[in-house]
Amino acid sequence: MAVKGDRPNFEASLLQRVLSVPGLDVAVGTLDKLLDWGSSNSLWIFPMATSCCGIEFMAAAASRVDLDRMGTIVRASPRHGDVMVVAGTITVKMAPRVRKLWDQMPEPKWCIAMGSCAISGDFYRDIYSVVPGIDTFVPVDVYVPGCPPNPTELMAGLRRLQDKINAQRDGTWVEPEVRPPEGPGIRPNIGRLDDPFRDPALTDAQLQASRNLGLNGNEHRSADAAQGRLVDRDKLRIGTHVAVAARPAPAATPSPEREPAPAPAPDSEVP
Amino acid sequence: MTAELRAVIAELLDLDADAVTDFGLLVPADSHLALAETLQTHGYTAYVTVVATHFPQAKATKKNPEPDPACIEVATVLRRPAKGTSLTFSWRVRVPEDGAVDSLVALFAGADWQEREQFDLVGVGFDGHPDLRRLMMPDDWPGHPLRRDYAIETAHHPWR
Repeated sequence: MAVKGDRPNFEASLLQRVLSVPGLDVAVGTLDKLLDWGSSNSLWIFPMATSCCGIEFMAAAASRVDLDRMGTIVRASPRHGDVMVVAGTITVKMAPRVRKLWDQMPEPKWCIAMGSCAISGDFYRDIYSVVPGIDTFVPVDVYVPGCPPNPTELMAGLRRLQDKINAQRDGTWVEPEVRPPEGPGIRPNIGRLDDPFRDPALTDAQLQASRNLGLNGNEHRSADAAQGRLVDRDKLRIGTHVAVAARPAPAATPSPEREPAPAPAPDSEVP
Repeated sequence: MTAELRAVIAELLDLDADAVTDFGLLVPADSHLALAETLQTHGYTAYVTVVATHFPQAKATKKNPEPDPACIEVATVLRRPAKGTSLTFSWRVRVPEDGAVDSLVALFAGADWQEREQFDLVGVGFDGHPDLRRLMMPDDWPGHPLRRDYAIETAHHPWR
């Protein structure tokens, strides 16, 4: 640094010298993009899985919906994690521990609230010991609603987080996500027996499936097959509409929704 | 329950031998520890569970003009893991709402956390317990949640 008289020459400071290197701003911009690309594609997850959403989280990390494809590796240490995925109900006693682990994560860090329990407490919201939503004590970046959400939905949430990271690195203001409203979207997407939106074909299919189980299922199966009512078991996956074959003469039979399961044959013995 | 044990318990509790049952026998609180000790010496060495139930003060009705005062019933279940046969003995003890029963930790080490749980949720004390703290709820939690008169709507936490 040159000294002119007794005053330091701030105009020729080290920073300005460095910045005056031709092409540096381009290089820094490129490096910034590289950093952005790297951080959004290596989101290591610290899982905070306390209940059934954790099972869906494991399914998301397993081979079918492979989170590793997007560089998302699950590490069971808060010091390795970039994203904390809170999957499950958080109780009042658990909440300070969650906050402590969140505080132990190094910056930059993000938080995903997975499932309706973590978002709002949902079914357990009115229980004395349940925290109604983790955003009451941890800043949440992405909400993944569902009960539990699909693994694909969790992956979509991670994609949203990636978009957010990219936009923020560019200097764009990203509108923070708000807690999804409570309503039918947060409830289980399969209707209960009395729900008006429950698919009657699903009731049929479940009745059929329960009849097809058991030791003496063969008789039921053959009887069903003779009447053209056999349901392919592979179509009984949850969430798909099951096409039940048309029944012959539905006139005098009672409603299939309320029909109790038939009594087992007298010769059947349950071990 | 063998006839010999039945006689021993009848003598201990000052009952008829016919009145001694191995399911839900109501025992005075001061015989609680002695009964457990007797059962342990007779082979009931497995501590299954302890369940405390809160019974609040009932309203007086025409049928029942003088209802029992509020109490807590503590039911203990022991098991005799003998070869070929497995017997269970359970009994109840009634204490007042703020009362305490004798702890069985000295006899059964497994009673430790179970008694802590009952103390935490129902609020019954255990005399002689070495470390009677809350087990499930936070240490600063007000009240005992499984009491019948526990107010759910009370604002008992910053979150609520």
